[in-house]
Amino acid sequence: MELLDDIKAAREVVQALLKAKKTFRMYPETNPMYAKTIEDTHAKFRNFFDYRDELTFKIKQNELFCDSEQIYYNPEKEDNIALFFFKDALREITFKKGFSVKELEDFLKILTVDYDREVLDDDVVTLLWERDFQNVKYVVDEAFLTEDEDYESEAVREVKDKASDGDELTKAYEDSFTEEGVKDISIVPLTDKDLHAVVKEIEKDAQDKTGKLVAIIFEMLYQAENKSEYEDAAHFLNSIIEFSIRHGDLDTALKILRKAREVSGIPLIADEAKKSLNMVFSFLGYDAAIKLIGELLDSGVEINEKVWDEYVAFLDKNAIEPFITILGELKSIPARKNVINALISLGRKDIQALAKGLYDSRWYVVRNIIYILGKVGDKAAADYLLKTVNHSDIRVRKEGIKALGELGVPGVFPALRECFNDPEVQIRTAAARALGNIRSTTAKSIILQRMTDAAFVKTEFSEKKEFYEVLSKWKDNDVVEFLMKTLRKKAFFKRALNDENRACAAYCLGLMGNKDALPLLHKAKESKNKLLREYVYSAIKRIDYGR
Amino acid sequence: MDGSEVKGEVFTEAKDIINQLAVIIRTAAIHDPGNIAVTTAIDKFIALTNPLILSERELALELGREFFYLNEIRIRYSLEYLPKFDFLVLEFRKRGLGSIVFRDALKSEDMQSFLRAFTASASSPEPFELLAEELTDVGSLGVGKLRKIRDEEKTEGGSAVRRMVKKSYFNAVSYTRGVISKIKSDEKVNIKKAKRVVESMVDLILEEEQLLLGMTSIKDYDEYTYHHSVNVSILSVALAQRLGLSKRALIELGLVALFHDIGKIDIPSEVLNKSTSFTDDEWNLVKKHPKWGVRAILKMRGIDATAVRAAIVAFEHHMYYDFSGYPKIKEPMELDFYSKIISLADQYDAMTSARVYSRIPMPPDRALSLMMERAGTQLDPILFKFFINMIGVFPVGTLVMLDTRELGLVYQSDTVFLDRPKVLVIINSKGERGEGYIVELSEKAPDGKFLRSIVKTMDPNKYRINLAEYLR
Repeated sequence: MELLDDIKAAREVVQALLKAKKTFRMYPETNPMYAKTIEDTHAKFRNFFDYRDELTFKIKQNELFCDSEQIYYNPEKEDNIALFFFKDALREITFKKGFSVKELEDFLKILTVDYDREVLDDDVVTLLWERDFQNVKYVVDEAFLTEDEDYESEAVREVKDKASDGDELTKAYEDSFTEEGVKDISIVPLTDKDLHAVVKEIEKDAQDKTGKLVAIIFEMLYQAENKSEYEDAAHFLNSIIEFSIRHGDLDTALKILRKAREVSGIPLIADEAKKSLNMVFSFLGYDAAIKLIGELLDSGVEINEKVWDEYVAFLDKNAIEPFITILGELKSIPARKNVINALISLGRKDIQALAKGLYDSRWYVVRNIIYILGKVGDKAAADYLLKTVNHSDIRVRKEGIKALGELGVPGVFPALRECFNDPEVQIRTAAARALGNIRSTTAKSIILQRMTDAAFVKTEFSEKKEFYEVLSKWKDNDVVEFLMKTLRKKAFFKRALNDENRACAAYCLGLMGNKDALPLLHKAKESKNKLLREYVYSAIKRIDYGR
Repeated sequence: MDGSEVKGEVFTEAKDIINQLAVIIRTAAIHDPGNIAVTTAIDKFIALTNPLILSERELALELGREFFYLNEIRIRYSLEYLPKFDFLVLEFRKRGLGSIVFRDALKSEDMQSFLRAFTASASSPEPFELLAEELTDVGSLGVGKLRKIRDEEKTEGGSAVRRMVKKSYFNAVSYTRGVISKIKSDEKVNIKKAKRVVESMVDLILEEEQLLLGMTSIKDYDEYTYHHSVNVSILSVALAQRLGLSKRALIELGLVALFHDIGKIDIPSEVLNKSTSFTDDEWNLVKKHPKWGVRAILKMRGIDATAVRAAIVAFEHHMYYDFSGYPKIKEPMELDFYSKIISLADQYDAMTSARVYSRIPMPPDRALSLMMERAGTQLDPILFKFFINMIGVFPVGTLVMLDTRELGLVYQSDTVFLDRPKVLVIINSKGERGEGYIVELSEKAPDGKFLRSIVKTMDPNKYRINLAEYLR
């Protein structure tokens, strides 16, 4: 029976559309499933068009009908394709036989738009209207647009009440014989030049208009007459900055900031105007603005380093705290790198605010803050960093020790010395490296003191090697003497451990490139200890060939 | 590629078919249709049309009012096609030609026969009849007569269309009133609905431009502010669609125009509705509405692309082309394209309405004449040319006396014969009032002279003529 077959085919089209709606949300255009969904759905349409030239769905709140047959019913609000059309006043939709694959794809895109997003001002009908499908027609219930049912009749009645009676019309007719003749309005034809000018203007009109609005807001600032108008202007500039950042456009934000700085510097500008512009600069550091910056950085949009640096230069210290907050939330490495660079720059304005980040509950944030404090290079940072060597997380402690080494102020030595007693080898070696970075006499003596300690010989070879490597940074006589002495040292007991020490001393002399040590090294080459022989051999080679 | 793909593509290129037809006709006016210059152009035309004839069986090119339709689908075109389209409209109308139907596979010889008949018919007193007769034996081509407006009006469909236009117009006005009331009471405004209202207007402008423009000419409604906003929106969109703006841009422009005067909600109503002229202080207050408009829009919408455009227009719509208006600005800027369009529409509607500026409404033709003086100073001169092309020398609603001693209202402009609109005669040549009948001033007598011409224009407001009664 043909009737039943075409209704069945129409039902299959609806099911295919529902399935496609889901698939389109799940897969990107590049996914093979995307193309397959289009093809499968189009096949269902083609199947229907084998029976008829037009497929019309009549739309009710929870139902779709083809002719008078119900082909879809869903009483739920979720995933209800009938309700989806119905709520925007669509009452009928027709697909014609020529409905192409491209049209289907565009139609499916319209079906899958997230209409609940607040920023979206379009509904299904608007998108169908804009796409202007050749083979999709629809009927909309215009009552949806009527705000006041009686408005039209009332307005027309009012006009009628004012209208003249027939006498005035007759008077108009009589007067017309005495009125002066028509005023000539010459018809100037459009020329090609006119058309080109308009085409050019339309092309130019496609440019972004935000910059123009900025200029207008500044004009409003110049013309402001009371506090509220000044504040409005500042608020609008903030909103434009926010809008620009949201759209990945730091350039526009920078233009506003440059202009604000320029206007603030005009001597005759009203104090109220300056105050409102200060509000703009402060706004940049608010949580909301920094959060948006975070989203922009994480979005993968490439940000020019100069642009970023200039933007950061406009920020005030109030941005430090929100930046620390987002530092732990950012997903991409380049984004974190940009925030870290910003905090290094801002931290110089308020190291105390930056140091608050050391109390963050996220270990990785604390580690970043330690790094930043180290890069700030302010000696005052040492007081904050000293506390981090006792942090519960070893990764934080290591970073803290490293930062203390970079700061190198005298106050850090007791803490670093204390680290040698830490049960974790990573902490002990980190402290050694930190002292190596400081490279002062005190640092050297702390290291040597540790290395001459009787217990040092018993430490793991790798740790010993780290200490000797650090020691190689001081190329003075004290160190050379200590190393030669260690290399010469013989032992009857725990000979293997002593040879480990000798191997490390050889390694260190090699790193230092000390030629005076060569005779002693050649002598040690004959040792029965394989490890010592290998390290001595390497050291000689390094000294002889500089590698 | 399946059949549907072919159809989609050819329809997309329908404007090229019109373009090529204009080329052929122009070339045939200089050379014999058998000349290689013409036949080459014909071949190109056939290459465009035959695939479509093949898939559609028949291809009907029809002129409906100012637009061409290909198998009932209106052909849209960008500005660079405008001269060719206008040329073809003129040539069709000169001959009373309403449609050409192409059947089977079109051959070069058939097109040559058509061109010979088409050229010859130009000088005939009955051009369409001659054309139809000459083409009787050409199987693949047929022609149809141009339908007259009065024929269309008599149909049931014609009055249904008018009802629909009227409904859409009042929906827009009532929506605008609702929006303004919501803004005043700080309620959220539904922009999705605003878009739908404007879409409906844009559709009508694309299909029934003259009818919707006719609605803007009725100025006696009480709630001027709302009607003015809608009128400016309609006039702006109508102008912009002639400039070739995209549908998306037309919606944006229509929305922006709807809100151009939104700053006026902050002007005290006792000032705004004053029946006497403004004092200096009151004027200064009124002059603040552009910046208050920016404030209202940005507070209502926040920042997005449409709000940016709307705020710009709200600020600039009184600045004028030469920046002689208000507000005065400190740093030079270029006037926005939309501002220039809306400024034209705003001036025209304001001048032809009561309760603004001098508070004496001007007859449409006088307003146009004044605007012509302002073209190049207050108004963009090129856009004004487009505007006058759209609205005609005697815009809808103008009260006119004809040389036949008939008194009537301009009912519809004629975009080809700008000074020869369609007129609804309300008093006949004997001075009698009747039901009213429509005459086309572009109609000629067999001797080639126009049957009727406008000799005088009068102010319909002076005689309190209810335009709504006649133009609905």
